Amino acid sequence: MPPLLVGRRVLRGRTTEEGTVPAVRADKLYKVFGKRANKAVELLGDGRHRDEIKQLDVTAAVIDVNFDVKAGEIFVVMGLSGSGKSTLIRMLNGLLEPTAGTVEIEGTQITGLPPAELRRLRSQKISMVFQHFALFPHRTVLENAAYGLEVRGVPREERLVKAKESLGLVGLDGWEDHLPTQLSGGMQQRVGLARALAADTDIILMDEAFSALDPLIRRDMQSQLLELQATLGKTIVFITHDLNEAMRLGDRICVLRDGRVAQIGTAEEILNDPANDYVAQFVEDVDRTRVLTASSVMEPPIPVIDPSHGPRAALRTMRENQTVSAFVVRRNRQLVGAVREGAIGEAVRNGVKELDGLVDGDIERVHPDTAVADLFHQAAESPYPLAVVDGDGRLVGVIPRVTLLAALAPIGSGDDTGNGAGGGEVAADGEGDSSVKGADEGGATAAASDAPAAEDTDSAAARASDGPPEADTAEEGSER
Amino acid sequence: MNLPALSITVPRVPVGDGFKAGVDFLKDNLAWLFDIIGTIIEVCVEFLGVTLSEPSATQLFVAASVVVAVGLWLRGHRYSATIPFAVWIAVWAAEAYGGATTAMLSQLDPVLFTWAQSLFGEEARFVYPQLLPAIPLFLALAVLSFTMTRDPRQRRLAIYVICGLAAFIALHFIVGVQLSLLVTMLFVLVAWLIAGTGLAIFSLLGFLLIISMGLFDDAMSTLALIIVATAVAVAIALPLGVLAAYNDRVSNVLKPVLDFMQTLPAFVYLLPAISFFSVGEVPGVIATVIFAMPPGVRLTELGIRQVDKELVEAGEAFGAPDSQILRNIQLPLALSTIMAGINQVIMLSLSMVVIAGMVGASGLGNQVYTGIAQAQIPIGFEGGIGVVILAIYLDRLTGAVTRFSPAAKAQRAAASR
Ligand SMILES: Nc1ncnc2c1ncn2[C@@H]1O[C@H](COP(=O)(O)OP(=O)(O)O)[C@@H](O)[C@H]1O
Ligand SMILES: [Mg+2]
Repeated sequence: MPPLLVGRRVLRGRTTEEGTVPAVRADKLYKVFGKRANKAVELLGDGRHRDEIKQLDVTAAVIDVNFDVKAGEIFVVMGLSGSGKSTLIRMLNGLLEPTAGTVEIEGTQITGLPPAELRRLRSQKISMVFQHFALFPHRTVLENAAYGLEVRGVPREERLVKAKESLGLVGLDGWEDHLPTQLSGGMQQRVGLARALAADTDIILMDEAFSALDPLIRRDMQSQLLELQATLGKTIVFITHDLNEAMRLGDRICVLRDGRVAQIGTAEEILNDPANDYVAQFVEDVDRTRVLTASSVMEPPIPVIDPSHGPRAALRTMRENQTVSAFVVRRNRQLVGAVREGAIGEAVRNGVKELDGLVDGDIERVHPDTAVADLFHQAAESPYPLAVVDGDGRLVGVIPRVTLLAALAPIGSGDDTGNGAGGGEVAADGEGDSSVKGADEGGATAAASDAPAAEDTDSAAARASDGPPEADTAEEGSER
Repeated sequence: MNLPALSITVPRVPVGDGFKAGVDFLKDNLAWLFDIIGTIIEVCVEFLGVTLSEPSATQLFVAASVVVAVGLWLRGHRYSATIPFAVWIAVWAAEAYGGATTAMLSQLDPVLFTWAQSLFGEEARFVYPQLLPAIPLFLALAVLSFTMTRDPRQRRLAIYVICGLAAFIALHFIVGVQLSLLVTMLFVLVAWLIAGTGLAIFSLLGFLLIISMGLFDDAMSTLALIIVATAVAVAIALPLGVLAAYNDRVSNVLKPVLDFMQTLPAFVYLLPAISFFSVGEVPGVIATVIFAMPPGVRLTELGIRQVDKELVEAGEAFGAPDSQILRNIQLPLALSTIMAGINQVIMLSLSMVVIAGMVGASGLGNQVYTGIAQAQIPIGFEGGIGVVILAIYLDRLTGAVTRFSPAAKAQRAAASR
């Protein structure tokens, strides 16, 4: 199997099994600061903008927010400064009382809970990571990490052991006895993360947790968070004002604007199908290659050749589909390898009857969750389109080089369908329908620079045909 | 034209009489309460004064025990630190009210004590009943320091205290060095341990000067008065400051009251204090507390309000109740500011000693007052110098204690990164 990126999506299958009670639910949530808050909620409920109720002398921070966060999901809340993100997240663990609406944690309504019970629920179910770390400067790193358990009354020895474990998880072995101020910013936030992990709650709230860090360290932390989430399966509500971060981390993203929800959806949905101009403007300059994954740009693998067929049949299939190469796939869709028209033609002329010796097994395979940005290198090295192979070795789609390049184009440019549901479609519509001989024989760079001029045999072929079973697979892939 | 003379008579508001009526009312109805408070303060001041100027063997043992017990307590062995004291207090009470130890001693063969009598003189007979339970108290704590913890610092502390105590007793009771010199050495030691060599040298010279002026006993009773006044002021100021930090309304009410306390001339409330407690140490302590307390309250409030909001929120987010947040987050982080407040309280207390001396408190203040009253420049000046030496000593000492606060440690760690 090719090296797989252990991505967030790997976990999804499991989470759906965990039942239907959302980990966190916000129901018609309002937070209005000021004396006449209730009147304001009424007006806002009728659809007024928060600037229209200025005469009430109130600040409407969160307006009519509804969402369910599934267990094991990373739910990102994104919005500009002042859009109400912090207010929202503080209502989720009861630090702020909503003006109207309710919050449910794992099915328990926490709005209106007596303070003592609210505190218990927090210490057992929800922990938090803060923008400026909020580490206790007078306690060692280890004691900081153990804080959640200390509050819960876990005996000292036991909680220190747990704290040490979670410090190990975030890569801070050996720093236990330092004071937080002796650590760099990134390390301090790791302590913050370890503190939340050691508390051993199912839900972690993170309020702009990485915003105070340098870009490079921020990327590291994001990767680490994804890894930890993949192994520990925590439910994470992550707040950020950085769209790239939101797209990278979020299974789903909630875009807040002036206290209201502008859109909730997966990164691909928000990128390719923005709900309104505001969101569209927002996503205009996002790094699409980091957001889009192989599964969202791949195309149906057509044609495919069964390994039991002879070279002659293979050649005919390729000619019929006007393509110079094809993948060899067993009946159960297990990928065997690929063949090229040139080699097969020669074999046919020489009277070879078996396909076996002609299949090139050493081809580039990528996982459906690999970010597009990480595909370019492999695509450049391979004479074939990239084979998108799932965890069980089945071919679920292909990515011709031209598709990869088309994926870079923002929506609207050279795209006449506009509302494509998946990146794959956008790419396919954008380019190529003509000539047969592709760039696959030439050098990789040559191929890349040629591509915009519109020819890739495979994508053309893909659109020309409509083989039934494979097409289904591909659609499944891009919908996820 | 003739302008009519415009004269409005402002009615006389009987402020002073009202105040006096209030004082009388309190005096008539709460006399018992003032008696209790007065007695407690008086006993504390006198006991502390005597302990500082001429400590008995019992007091030395108990003081040494307290030092070791504090060490144990700070290292988490709370039961080890407190149980010996509880037992000791029980025995002490039994002796004080029932003469239990004396009775037990009289059962024993007097031969056992002849060596002590030859060593300590005839008084030994009177020292023993109280000293007897204090010795096992100290021994128990010393043994616990070696058995309960593997912390080498506690063992070292215990060894130092044992050596110090042995040296003190040997030097005084056997060699015959006077107590004032030995107590001075203790002050120097404390200065050296907490603040370093500079203050150690200063305190050595300073206290020697006090001894040479013949003011050692006066200085010690002034010190006792200040310690008691500071303790009372801090005991009131700390909770008030915490309340004010938590509650804006309390803070708003408290502010003018504190201003009032600090600006009202001390002589004005000295009179009612005397009428409540009669002359002596007590009105001096009360006047000092009133005058010196405000910065304690203000800086406690400030210190707690200054603690990063996000840290408090972190505590809340993990479900900690307010009391825990106060104890584990706010107070430790506010400690250096609170210590600055305590330092101010001590300094203001010192500035009150002359006034306390006027109402009959003994000590350096009384010395200065005598100097003024009899127009004797040397007496007054010497008393004043004594106050200054005490002030510098206490100021530097409390300033140095701040270095040990958790926040200060964190700051140093950040600086050395
Ligand atoms: N305690 C408060 N009192 C009054 N207004 C507040 C309070 N907290 C936040 N706000 C206001 O609510 C709005 C949203 O704030 P916040 O939730 O902090 O936004 P974000 O975290 O997205 O930057 C802002 O206009 C802010 O001024
Ligand atoms: Mg914020």
